[in-house]
Amino acid sequence: MTMTRLIRSELRKLTTTKMPWAFLAVLAVLAGINAIAVIAGTDMDGSKAFIATEADQQSLMAFAANALAIAGLFGAIGVAREYGHHTVVPTFLASPRRYRAVLAQLGAIAVSGGVLGLVGAGLTAAAVAFSLPTTDYGFLVSAGNVTQVLAASAFAGAAGAVLGAGIGSLVRNVGGAVTGAVLALFIAPPLVVQLASDTASWMPSILANVVSGVGNEVSQPAAVAAIAAWAVVPAAIGLIAVQRRDVV
Amino acid sequence: MIPPEVQHPLVIEHLTKRYGDHTVVDDLSFTVEPGRVTGFLGPNGSGKSTTMKMMLDLATADRGRATIGGQRYRELEDPARTVGAMIESDAFHPGRSGRNHLRILADATGIPHRRVDEILEEVGLTDAARRHAGAYSLGMRQRLGLATALLGGPPVLILDEPGNGLDPEGIRTLRDRLRAQASGGGTVFVSSHLLAEVEQLTDDVIVINDGRLVTQGSLAELQRAASLVRTTDPGRLAVVLEQAGAATEAHGPDSLIVRGMPIDEIGERAFTTGIALHELSPQAGSLEELFLNWTTTPSVDQEAIQR
Repeated sequence: MTMTRLIRSELRKLTTTKMPWAFLAVLAVLAGINAIAVIAGTDMDGSKAFIATEADQQSLMAFAANALAIAGLFGAIGVAREYGHHTVVPTFLASPRRYRAVLAQLGAIAVSGGVLGLVGAGLTAAAVAFSLPTTDYGFLVSAGNVTQVLAASAFAGAAGAVLGAGIGSLVRNVGGAVTGAVLALFIAPPLVVQLASDTASWMPSILANVVSGVGNEVSQPAAVAAIAAWAVVPAAIGLIAVQRRDVV
Repeated sequence: MIPPEVQHPLVIEHLTKRYGDHTVVDDLSFTVEPGRVTGFLGPNGSGKSTTMKMMLDLATADRGRATIGGQRYRELEDPARTVGAMIESDAFHPGRSGRNHLRILADATGIPHRRVDEILEEVGLTDAARRHAGAYSLGMRQRLGLATALLGGPPVLILDEPGNGLDPEGIRTLRDRLRAQASGGGTVFVSSHLLAEVEQLTDDVIVINDGRLVTQGSLAELQRAASLVRTTDPGRLAVVLEQAGAATEAHGPDSLIVRGMPIDEIGERAFTTGIALHELSPQAGSLEELFLNWTTTPSVDQEAIQR
């Protein structure tokens, strides 16, 4: 009962500012870019081979890696601004057992990230589907594969948001949290791969493609578990830090 | 009226907080009684806010403990309905409306949303309820902070500088609200650096400086806790009284202001040491005068003050 109330409260926090609309606008822009790519884009030889097969189209629609990154920023900002604006103070006064409040926050962030991922994948799939008739190719992706792309994006969005939330609760200011999320998702992975090439298959964007069905570097269950680990580790560290630190 | 058996005294015992080498709160002990409005006074940086944060488990004490009705804040069954707190006056998202800010807290604590509208009405924010809190004036933000504290109808109020930015009408509303809360058996603990406001608002005061207790007690008694002594030998009398634990200050060429010692004891000590007195009378001071004395002179024997 307490957790349900806290999650409802956290969801209201996330939906009563303009932040979700800004992220939805980004998703719409990305979908538009995909539509333009389908309508106007060509391969090096001038053909449209990049949308010629089901695998090509599914690859174009695979939104999970984007969902992970975008939701990561969403989670980082969503949590860090709580500290920046001190709204975490009434939250922890209402729920002095802080782990409950943090778990509720992570739950709400995960749901929101999942929705962002799903909406992003849906918009992208719709953009591809509605722009294909302007080409010589029809929509070739099976319903099952569309479902996989949508589910993978929702999962990656939820995981990315939790990862970002963990960074946000550690860094506690929006600028720092965004920088941390960018470092974790965009800058650190290629650097790590340069140092240890065997790790390439375990980087977030590669794992997201595996879950979306457009990569096979690792097995699907392993990819799901690894993405979950990418999310849970910073979130757990953040939870421990919040428990131990003074709030203000 | 809150029955005495469920009233909530605030008990602070040996509370200590250090940040690195700096001791912000140093072995602080005091009790805030229900049924009275207690002011928490101290210069900027004296440890008032840190003490309040430790009372509310927002900061962890290095030593000692703070209890509310015998329990730590985190142990309270229903904290939002037990303690209303205002610690950060700007603890809201500027892009969120005042009403939504309160609804979020109502959701978290299971308080019905109709209570949000009631409390907005009570603090005079109904017309601004749908506006973004970032567009509120300082006084309106204070009202929103007060509404946050009052939302659960708690018997205990812990308010950090609640009068900041309030206009005279707002101050009067605050005073009436706090007075009503205390007269109903509630516990009201209010920090402030506005001495005139404290004089209007509070029954008791607790004064700290550099994280240590300087004095505590009924404001009226403390204001009477000084005596004017006119004598032929103020220098020798000052030494005698200070050796006995009083604090003295020169008041003209032949007079002393003596604090921390009952007036009859001053007379007895002067008599036994053979110092003639030409006048010995109670000296009522303004709170500002007392505050400056408490926070700028070396600490006075606390037991002597309480006598």
